[in-house]
Amino acid sequence: MPAKAVAKKTPAKKTPAKKTPARAAEISALQGALAAEHAAIYGYGVVGAMLAGGPLSQARAYWIAHQEARDILEAMLVRLGATPIAASPAYRLPFAVTGEASAVRLAVLLEDGVAQAYLGVVAVTNVALRSFGALSMQPPANRAVAWRGTTVAFPGMP
Amino acid sequence: MLSRRQLLAASPTTLPLFLALSACKGPAVLSGPPPVASQTQMLLRTVTAEQNLIWIYNKAMAGYSALRPTLAPLLAEHRAHLAQLAARVVEPPGEKVPRAVTARPTLAATAGGALVQLRAAEQAAVARLLGQGLLGRASPSLAQLYASVAASEATHVTRLTSRIEQSHPGS
Repeated sequence: MPAKAVAKKTPAKKTPAKKTPARAAEISALQGALAAEHAAIYGYGVVGAMLAGGPLSQARAYWIAHQEARDILEAMLVRLGATPIAASPAYRLPFAVTGEASAVRLAVLLEDGVAQAYLGVVAVTNVALRSFGALSMQPPANRAVAWRGTTVAFPGMP
Repeated sequence: MLSRRQLLAASPTTLPLFLALSACKGPAVLSGPPPVASQTQMLLRTVTAEQNLIWIYNKAMAGYSALRPTLAPLLAEHRAHLAQLAARVVEPPGEKVPRAVTARPTLAATAGGALVQLRAAEQAAVARLLGQGLLGRASPSLAQLYASVAASEATHVTRLTSRIEQSHPGS
């Protein structure tokens, strides 16, 4: 896997954010999406270690896409006056990843988890955030299809 | 001002005249069913749009049997979308869950053309579902359903694009 890209971040302007219940729900939903992106970034490190050739290139591209999504979410949270949650140093895998098949299975799980987290953003009352959540569901839904080989009727739904 | 005695003496024929002259409107007319809420109207339109998509998929599969392996799973998902959307409709008085297809476009003359046509229909469906009017006015759970259906239909666009590229590399 390539070295982690270090995003250049401009100092965020902290606007005084009112701590309303709606604002708290927005922050909570975005933190949920950020947590899923952190997990995906970690998970793709494991996935990539078990792949080669085309699938490895695909995993690398998706890994970078998750990093970009993480940076966007962190910036949004800072704008809302919140401290973005940090990634865990390590994550417990849901099953042993021992080869290509289990790596692909993990990749599907990661993408489904990210789509589900963005679906949480769709439930907030802020219309712009709803749209953001709905649009952000599409890349993980498509990536899950690329790994799984089949489409599903309700991406992100439990 | 009428005295009590005069009022009691008023006959059934003079009382309506008195009421009319005194600008009294009489008892209120029973109101009809309330207008259908905008959220319900949007849901009904979404149900119709899904039915239109199903119609064109059926037409394409009937016209081009070679496309069936690609289209059948996508059609099954549209049917699942329709079932979920229709289940959310609480039929208001005088309004039924629409069961009629409202758009029956002519199917493209080739299988490749039909795929392009289906892809365009899917893209339009995604754009419609993610329009702020629809997403913004829906309840949180309905907005989530719209978003999930839109994400599914976005994967259909990708799937159809791959199929088109297999048929006509470089298109």
